[in-house]
Amino acid sequence: MSLEPTVLTGAETALQHEVRAYLDERIPPGTYPLSLGMTGVSDPAFSRDLGAKGWVGMALAPEYGGGGRSAVERLLVVEELLARGAPVGYHWVADRQSGPTIQRYGTEDQKRRYLPGIARGELSFSIGMSEPDSGSDLASLRARARPDGDGWRLDGTKIWTSGAAEATHVLGLFRTSEDRHAGLTQFVLDCTTPGITISPIPFIDGSQHFCEVVFDDVRVGDDARLGEVGAGWTQNTGELVLERGGVDRWMSLMPVIREWAPRVLADDGAALSDLGRITARMWALRGLSLAIARLVDDGGSPVTEAAMAKEMATRFEKESVELVARHLGRAPELAASDPVESLLARAVLVSPSWTIRGGTTEVLRGIISKGLAS
Amino acid sequence: MSAPLADASLVESIDAFFARRVSPELAAEVERTGALPAEVWNELEGLGFTLVGISEESGGSGGSLLDAMSIVIAAGAHAAPLPLAESYAAAWLLEQAGLEIPSGPLTFVPGTTADTLDCQADRARGTVHRVPWGRGVSAVVAVAEHPEGWRVTVLDPAQATLTPGADLAGTPSDSLTFEADGVIGSGLVFLAEDPRWRLGLARTAQMAGALSGILGLTVRYTGEREQFGRPIRAFQAVQEHIVTIAEAAEITTMSVWRAALASQERPSSFEIAAAKLVATESALHSVRAAHQAHGAIGMTREYPLHLYTRRLHAWRQELGTELALAGALGRAVRESGSITTPVADGDHGVEVPWPTT
Repeated sequence: MSLEPTVLTGAETALQHEVRAYLDERIPPGTYPLSLGMTGVSDPAFSRDLGAKGWVGMALAPEYGGGGRSAVERLLVVEELLARGAPVGYHWVADRQSGPTIQRYGTEDQKRRYLPGIARGELSFSIGMSEPDSGSDLASLRARARPDGDGWRLDGTKIWTSGAAEATHVLGLFRTSEDRHAGLTQFVLDCTTPGITISPIPFIDGSQHFCEVVFDDVRVGDDARLGEVGAGWTQNTGELVLERGGVDRWMSLMPVIREWAPRVLADDGAALSDLGRITARMWALRGLSLAIARLVDDGGSPVTEAAMAKEMATRFEKESVELVARHLGRAPELAASDPVESLLARAVLVSPSWTIRGGTTEVLRGIISKGLAS
Repeated sequence: MSAPLADASLVESIDAFFARRVSPELAAEVERTGALPAEVWNELEGLGFTLVGISEESGGSGGSLLDAMSIVIAAGAHAAPLPLAESYAAAWLLEQAGLEIPSGPLTFVPGTTADTLDCQADRARGTVHRVPWGRGVSAVVAVAEHPEGWRVTVLDPAQATLTPGADLAGTPSDSLTFEADGVIGSGLVFLAEDPRWRLGLARTAQMAGALSGILGLTVRYTGEREQFGRPIRAFQAVQEHIVTIAEAAEITTMSVWRAALASQERPSSFEIAAAKLVATESALHSVRAAHQAHGAIGMTREYPLHLYTRRLHAWRQELGTELALAGALGRAVRESGSITTPVADGDHGVEVPWPTT
């Protein structure tokens, strides 16, 4: 199946309007700290309110408290949140990634234990994948899970774990045998488990979102294991594939751009051209994201297309920072009283990470190239 | 609901036709003589391919705008030296205006800031520039703003003084001067937007086709060409070029379909402008990537890459140059007060004025 253009149904448009009306009321402009896309401010109360509206865990099954909604519907909700720079940090990972993974690979008991809390916006997940010596080459990871009685003993270090300091849980990938790919297993861990130490790593913009998570002789039961022993690589890869094409890959700067667009001066030809370029790209990338979501809802698995969308989208959003910032007339300042300028300053600093996180440009190009050859 | 795409059997038969009848030799011949390949055109016309998307009541072959665009995409993918995009857009406008559609190839005056043509119901005076295929067509369609909409004039190029020109691809791009005679048809039509956007959409579809054409060539060549003992496609640096072109083809094609879908529903200058701008930016990167991947052979006229890359160079800067399009789009978005609405909503109401250059 190849990507086809799609248009929204009446019900989908109604959802869009409902979300807009709610957010206009719940987070009026100027009343909340602006976020840059998915690494949003963590606001548990906001996440709970969204959960009550049914807009967290939308993709999860109703029997586990989820919304049983489509990928397109989730895209529409996420789009409105990111456009406003809403504080999505607390529930983001659980909603996008951990929840669907647990639903797909978890036992009945695990699904009942975690999914309702995720859908209520009460649980916050982080992802324990990268290690000091394992980044793009994830399969070389060394954090280890050893059988210990009827449970497991975990040791090792995970790094670049976004949001771990606030997270209630971490979904980690551990080595259970020497087999490079088939020796990896996923575990769901409560962050309060003795032996887990979470330390923030100051990020380039001075924020404390990025963390190191150390596992020192952490003992957990076998019910912490997610999926089969040795199936972690496959589960983990599947988890990454389809989220690649999401709107979050091109919307990071939207809270800045939407404020900047009407402020451009009518006779500033250079800025108007840049605004035109940004608009055209966003419109086109949105078409790809929507087509991918629709195809996923129709049972397709557009792996190569999703990788292409992410590769293009993340390069665009990085480039868009420059297309906006060059019209300010000076370097933006983090301490600016204008929250939009302050956010732009953060974007200047952090945007190099946008083409690194969740699979670098280089790794994605390799995946696309292989996909095109097959 | 997924949008109904073009008729699959139509796409298959037009592809087969171009594969059989269009070749680099034909393109070279057209470029050398400046003559429209009448035999190929007549065959296409006989098969009904030249008026797809025009209703049967108006003398067309029926089919949707999406069907029409799939023909133009195929023409782009085969670098067909034929005015299919122009003919379609001209015939569409004549149908809108309730005017008779002349047989034979048609063209559409894009309009430049130097144009002086003044059309009345029965006479036309002045010059139009950069008219694609101006010398080979049976009729030239021109539009001008009018208090009640648009004045559409059908002109006989045989009555004009012709100054031949050619674009970077060697496609005729002519100036025509009318002294008074030459009007074969004239009418007024109300349309919410400048009808030249339809020509812009068709050109963008041709660009999408050309991008898939250079993708095919580049994939094939890098798989066959061996250096350092293996096909050059084995090198990551070369793979990157292929990825660049594949992405460009994907996003441009999707944008063409979306703009065409929007055109079926409502005024769509915003979508067409965005799609053309994306095509224009994508073409720049893809042309560079394709030439880089091909090395010296791609710089020669003995290898067909130039058929695509020269066309893309020309098309990037016509029907709205990159700068004019970007500026017009940016201005429209600024005036609308919201960037999120046109990006996320179908019925956004943002209109982009036609960027004459």
